[in-house]
Amino acid sequence: MNRSLTSIAALASVALMATACSDPAAEAEGGGSAGGGAVEWPEPTADLDGVTLTLWAAQNSTTIPEQVTAAFEKATGAKVEIVTIPDPYEQSVQTRVATGDKPDLAFWQPTASMLTALNADTNLQPLDGAPWIEELQPELQDMTGLLDDTRYAALISSPSVEGVYYNKDVFAQHGITEPPGSFDEMVDLARKLDSAGVTPFYGMAGDRWATQWWVQVQLAGAAANGFWDDVNSGEKSFESPVVLDAITRYRDLVEEGLFNDDLATATFEEQGDALLAGEAAMALQVNSFFGQLQAKADTATLNEKIGFFPISPSGNVGTYIPDQSNALVAFRSGDEQKEAAARQLLAFWMGPGYEDFVAGQGTISLKPDVPTPDSVPQALLDAHASLGDSVGSMQALAAANPDLYLNLADMVAGEMTPKEVAAATQDQFEQLASAAGVEGF
Amino acid sequence: MATEHETVAGAAPGQPAPDGLPPGGSGGKVSRTTSAERRERAAHPGWFLAPALVVMVVFFFVPTVFNFVYAFTDWSSFKSEINPVGFDNFVELADSGTLFASLRITVVYAVLVAIFQNVFGLILAVLLERDTRLNRFARAAFFIPVLMSALAVGYIFQAFLKPEGALNALIGALVGHEVTTAWLGSTTWTIVVVALIHAWKWMGLSMLIYMAGLKTMPGDVLEAARIDGASPWKAFWAIRFPLLAPAVTFSVATALLGSMNGFDVVQATTEGGPARTTEILNIFIYRTFGQGLFAQATTMSLVLFLMVALFAFPVIKILRRREEIL
Repeated sequence: MNRSLTSIAALASVALMATACSDPAAEAEGGGSAGGGAVEWPEPTADLDGVTLTLWAAQNSTTIPEQVTAAFEKATGAKVEIVTIPDPYEQSVQTRVATGDKPDLAFWQPTASMLTALNADTNLQPLDGAPWIEELQPELQDMTGLLDDTRYAALISSPSVEGVYYNKDVFAQHGITEPPGSFDEMVDLARKLDSAGVTPFYGMAGDRWATQWWVQVQLAGAAANGFWDDVNSGEKSFESPVVLDAITRYRDLVEEGLFNDDLATATFEEQGDALLAGEAAMALQVNSFFGQLQAKADTATLNEKIGFFPISPSGNVGTYIPDQSNALVAFRSGDEQKEAAARQLLAFWMGPGYEDFVAGQGTISLKPDVPTPDSVPQALLDAHASLGDSVGSMQALAAANPDLYLNLADMVAGEMTPKEVAAATQDQFEQLASAAGVEGF
Repeated sequence: MATEHETVAGAAPGQPAPDGLPPGGSGGKVSRTTSAERRERAAHPGWFLAPALVVMVVFFFVPTVFNFVYAFTDWSSFKSEINPVGFDNFVELADSGTLFASLRITVVYAVLVAIFQNVFGLILAVLLERDTRLNRFARAAFFIPVLMSALAVGYIFQAFLKPEGALNALIGALVGHEVTTAWLGSTTWTIVVVALIHAWKWMGLSMLIYMAGLKTMPGDVLEAARIDGASPWKAFWAIRFPLLAPAVTFSVATALLGSMNGFDVVQATTEGGPARTTEILNIFIYRTFGQGLFAQATTMSLVLFLMVALFAFPVIKILRRREEIL
C-alpha cells in the first residue's frame, strides 16, 4: 500500500471520528418545540394535508392504534404509518433512538424510570396542558406519565395492576366463597388447597418476568409509606429488611410446594392454559395475562370462570404498573409541523376519537363521560376499580428499573439465595441510577 | 529461471569477463526483477485496494476505534452528553462478578463448540470421503445447516427439545411411556446441549475443510504405507491425521474464535437461561445495551475483543507448530 493511500485512510478515519463523536440522538436539540415554554395544542381535526406521521408500536400493541389513526387520517388528511418494532421492544427503541432514529410517536411505558431511559428531557415533547387531562377520572390524571413535574406520556388505556387472577370453579369446589382479604389469608387458603391436592399458585419462572410481582405486592404497604423515595435517595435499598423479607417469603412459598412442580421452566402461555383449565387455583399477574386469556376464551366464559382480587399484606390493595401498551409519547423530531401534528393526533385520540377507540378496542374508558363497552369482562373491570386506592410498583416509583425478575428467576432455579438476589438487584439499581444522573449515586 | 540460465550461460568457462564478474551479472539481474515488478505493479495497481480498504476502514476500523474510545466514557441513553470517565467502567465491571461469570461461560462454550464441531466434521469427512453418489448426497445434506439462519436453527431446536417437544415424544414412543425431560432446563448441562446445537449447525463447514485436506493428500505416501502393511487405522493416525494439520489449524481456530463471538444460537434456544448458566458475553452485552448502559456494553465488547485476541495468538501458534513437521 503506498503512502498517499495510508494518509487518505487516516484522514478519513479522523474525519469520521470527529463527526461521530457526539450523541447522534442529541441532534434535534434546539430545533422544534423548545422545552419549558407553554405547549400549543392544535384543534384535533385541523387540516393536515400532506403530513405523514410515524408511530412505533410493539408486537402486542400494533393493532391498538389502527382504528383511531384511520379516523384521524379521514378527519385531517394526514397519513399515519404504524411501524411494528420487534421484541424486545424497549431495547430496540432505545437503541434506535440512541443512533438518532426517531418516530413522531411511540408506545412507551409511562413510568419515570422508563421516561428517563429515553432521555425524555431531550428526546420527548412535553405534553403539559393537554386538553383531555381534566376529562379523565381524577385519580388517573397525574398517576403516571410525569417526570420532574413535566408530562411526557399520554395514558390511553387502564394501567396494569398486579393482582391475583383465580379460577372460580376451583374456589367453589373447595367451598371458598370469598376471596382472601390479605396476603397471609391468601397463603392460608393456598395451604388448604394444597392439602386438598390442588396446585394453589401457577408461576411462570421459565419466562422469568412475572416472578417480580411476588415481591412487589408484598411491598405495597412500604410503597405507600414512601419506601421507593427512600430507595431513590439512597436511604434504603433492595437489601433493606422489608425487601429481603419479601424475597425470602417468596422463596419459602416456593420451597413449601405451593407452586406448580414445573415452576422453574413454565411459561406465560402455559400459565394461561393452566388457570383456564383449572389445573391451578390462582396466578399472580398483570393485565397482559388477562389479555392472553381473552385470546383463548370469550367474555361470557371468562366472566363465568375467572375472577380477580388485588392483594397486599394489609388488605386488598393493588399495585399499579402501567405498561407500554397503556401510553404514548411524542418525540422531538426537529420539524415543528410534524411535532404539532403528533400532538394533534394525541388530542384527537383522547378527544373526539376516544369513544370510538374505546368501543372498537373493547377496553375500559378512562373518562367518566365516555361509557365502557359491555364486552369488557368483569375481571378487568375489577382490576380497573382497584386502581383508585392502589400503590405504585417498583417500575412506577423507583428512579431506575433493575432486573429484579431475572435474579428472582435464578433464585427459583436454585442458583441464588435471597441475600444474593437483593445484593445483585441493588448493585444494578445503583449502576443505572448513576448512569441516569440520580443525585447521590 | 530464465535469469539463472542466462547467467550460467554468460559465465561459460574460458570466457572470463574483464572485471571478473560474469557478463549480465547482478546488474542485469536487478534490472530484470524490477521490470518484472513493474509489470506486476501495472497489472495490480495499488488503487485497486481502495474500495476494499474504504469498506474495511468505515465498517471495521473506525467502529473498532470507537469501541476503544466509548469504553472510557459514560455514554448512555439517559442523557445527551458523553463525558470521559477514565477506567471507571472497567473497575465497575471487574467489581461485579457477572463479567467474569460470563467470560468463563464464554470460554467453556467456545471450547465445547470447537471440540464438537471438529470431531463431528472430521468423522463426517472420513466417512464421506469416497466419491459415491450416496456420499455426494450426504455431503450436501450435512452442509445445509451451515447455510441456514442460525436463529432459525436455534428456534427449531428450542421447539424440538421442549418438555412437550418432538424429541420427548419420540423417546416416549420408543420406551412406551410419557417423557417430559426439559433438555434445556438443567443449570449444568444446558451449555453442553447448546454447544452441540451450535456444533451441529457448523459441522458441515469443518467437514468441507477436512475433506479438502484429505483429498489433496499425496497418493504415493498412502500407497507406501499400504505396501508397508499399515492397517487403515494406523495409516490414519500415523499419516493422514498429521498431514491434515493445516486443515486442523484453520478449522479449530475458526470454530473456537467464531463461537466466542456467538450469540444467535444461544439467544434463540435459551436467551442465556436457565439461571444465566448459558449467558455468554454477547448475551450479557446485549442485555446491558438494552438497559441503555451503552458505555458499559461497549466496555464489555472491548473486553471480549481483547479476550478473543488473547486467545487467538497462542492457539494459532500452537496449531501452526504442529504443521512444522510437514
